[in-house]
Amino acid sequence: MTALPANDIVGTKSSRRPTGLLLVAAPVLLVCWLIIWPIISAIIRTVWLPDTAGERRFSLETYQFFFSDQYSINNLMVTLWTTAVTALILLLICLPIALYLRFATNRIAAYVQGLAIFPMFVPSIILSYAFIRVLGPNGTVDLLLNAVHLPHIRSPYLTPWGPVLGLVWDNIPLTVLILLSGLGNVSNQSIEAARDVGAGRIAVLWHIILPRISNSLLVAVSFTVLGIFSAFTLPYVLGPAAPEMMGPFMQRTFRDLNDPTTAITQAVIAFGFCIVFGLFYVYSVAKNRAP
Amino acid sequence: MAMLDIQGVTKKFSTTMAVDDFSLTVADGELVCLLGPSGSGKSTLLRMIGGFETPSGGLITIDGDDVTRVPPERRPTGMVFQSHALWTHMNVFNNLAFGLKLRHLPKAEIRQKVEAVLELVGLSGYGSRATTQLSGGQQQRVALARSLVLEPKILLLDEPFASLDQHLRERLREEVRDIQQRLKITTLFVTHGQDEALALADRIVVMRDGHTEQADRPDVVYREPASPFVAGFIGSMNLVDGTIANNVFTHTGFTVPLTAADGQATLAVRPEALHIVPASGVGMAKIHRVTDYGTHAIVDIDLPDGVRLKAMVGEARAWTAGQAINLKPRAFAAYRDNVAIFRSLDNHG
Ligand SMILES: Nc1ncnc2c1ncn2[C@@H]1O[C@H](COP(=O)(O)OP(=O)(O)O)[C@@H](O)[C@H]1O
Ligand SMILES: [Mg+2]
Repeated sequence: MTALPANDIVGTKSSRRPTGLLLVAAPVLLVCWLIIWPIISAIIRTVWLPDTAGERRFSLETYQFFFSDQYSINNLMVTLWTTAVTALILLLICLPIALYLRFATNRIAAYVQGLAIFPMFVPSIILSYAFIRVLGPNGTVDLLLNAVHLPHIRSPYLTPWGPVLGLVWDNIPLTVLILLSGLGNVSNQSIEAARDVGAGRIAVLWHIILPRISNSLLVAVSFTVLGIFSAFTLPYVLGPAAPEMMGPFMQRTFRDLNDPTTAITQAVIAFGFCIVFGLFYVYSVAKNRAP
Repeated sequence: MAMLDIQGVTKKFSTTMAVDDFSLTVADGELVCLLGPSGSGKSTLLRMIGGFETPSGGLITIDGDDVTRVPPERRPTGMVFQSHALWTHMNVFNNLAFGLKLRHLPKAEIRQKVEAVLELVGLSGYGSRATTQLSGGQQQRVALARSLVLEPKILLLDEPFASLDQHLRERLREEVRDIQQRLKITTLFVTHGQDEALALADRIVVMRDGHTEQADRPDVVYREPASPFVAGFIGSMNLVDGTIANNVFTHTGFTVPLTAADGQATLAVRPEALHIVPASGVGMAKIHRVTDYGTHAIVDIDLPDGVRLKAMVGEARAWTAGQAINLKPRAFAAYRDNVAIFRSLDNHG
């Protein structure tokens, strides 16, 4: 008699489980097929190399080559430098914008928000050409300076600062939106309470607001880093020919030099840097979800 | 200690007049309750005293110092908000110590002050708790302690217990009163609950549409409400519109003798002051229902035109629904144009 209800419960459980599993299975399979498998196969292809006799064996020589080749290292370094500088400038620009949007009560805020989101609707390629026309040699700025008999600017076009400026512009909307959503969790009353006990603007920002949005800052930086490592158009059009960023570097190695193994090695190394920030992101999301 | 003076303060939000030419002087150590319906400007007034809103006009002084335009971080006021507004990324100790740290007090002194104030609000030993681990009542205690630890000259509380259940609210209200009297701190307490105001206040300021309707001791506000609005807002009150002619107030058969000029008037009688007697014949009114509360009973009464009154009686058993009765108010007031034109002598019901 007692076995019956127990059976019943087990029955409903087992009949529900497959549905749940199936629901989860679809995305998991997709992730495995489109992401995990390519990663594994890429790693295998870069460490399981054919020797002169044509037999495949384990070897780290493509990685050894990458890390002993000054040109490759320079490219990696310029990518890391661009990432760090872009992330820093982005935070310096976007944090004040997001703070303004969060706390402004007037109507101008709506227009500022529109302006801040606008770059999202401009394709990188159009942005690149606009950039060249304005800041490039003989661009608008140069012409204006010329007109008043001032010397030429040292154009950032084709220097490492070119991609930085482009990437900053390109990433402003996403960064502002992420920070804004974080600031949405900071209640007016908690800020007023801080002012009430004597905190000025800086103290409120430092002790109350920043700790509350640290997760959003982390997410914003992770997104920027991931975006910059995979950026192609802006570094390709605006950046110097050498050193070049990882995106154009991979593309050139693969297509122009026709050396897929080396290109894949570069990709795996770039992936290694990204995964660190990817894990940061997952960690902070999980920490937020925890009760 | 501290005296608060508010003179002709006005606050206009685009089209709404939230506070309209409001004046009030709060004596040192006094606890004043701002009482009024939602939207009457209580919070706006309190926020102007705390520095979170700038008055459109008027003057606010504390101990003679003009603070009208001083920002909150430089005012000697402490505010307790409706939702506790604790900083969830800090534990209880750090919530309390934050203001002291900003004042660069030595560590030992901070520790000692925080422990003393935790003791005061009955939360000794809770310093290392996360604020999210506390119950609603404990969170409000911490919020109160956070203001008290800085020893403000004026303590401001904006419906601090509104989100708590009745039982807890009553207990915390008593604790606030005890603490306030022990520290003798000048306090403004905003509430829309009349029982809270009656229980707490040295003085009640009844607000309506941004101005003062009446400001007086709780017993005076209760017994001699200055207007029908106050009469209806504080305690339960029967308000009947009628006419006065030849020193008799009349509303369809319900007559009350008084002394006032002829004309329209509103009669106000508390249920406990509305005496009822069985009538032979039709009588002035009929009993609609009798509700027994154990200690007393409430009789719902229908006047012939359907106007419903309430009377308080000692014994439910003496009365039945449908019974014809006469009404004999023992204490009452009459109002015309929002001012009292008559009060019965025996107004202690
Ligand atoms: N920041 C504001 N902007 C516009 N109107 C406001 C603002 N704050 C309050 N008001 C208006 O002022 C009036 C009084 O509000 P409030 O002081 O909050 O009343 P109470 O605290 O008595 O409920 C209300 O009509 C409210 O809508
Ligand atoms: Mg309010």
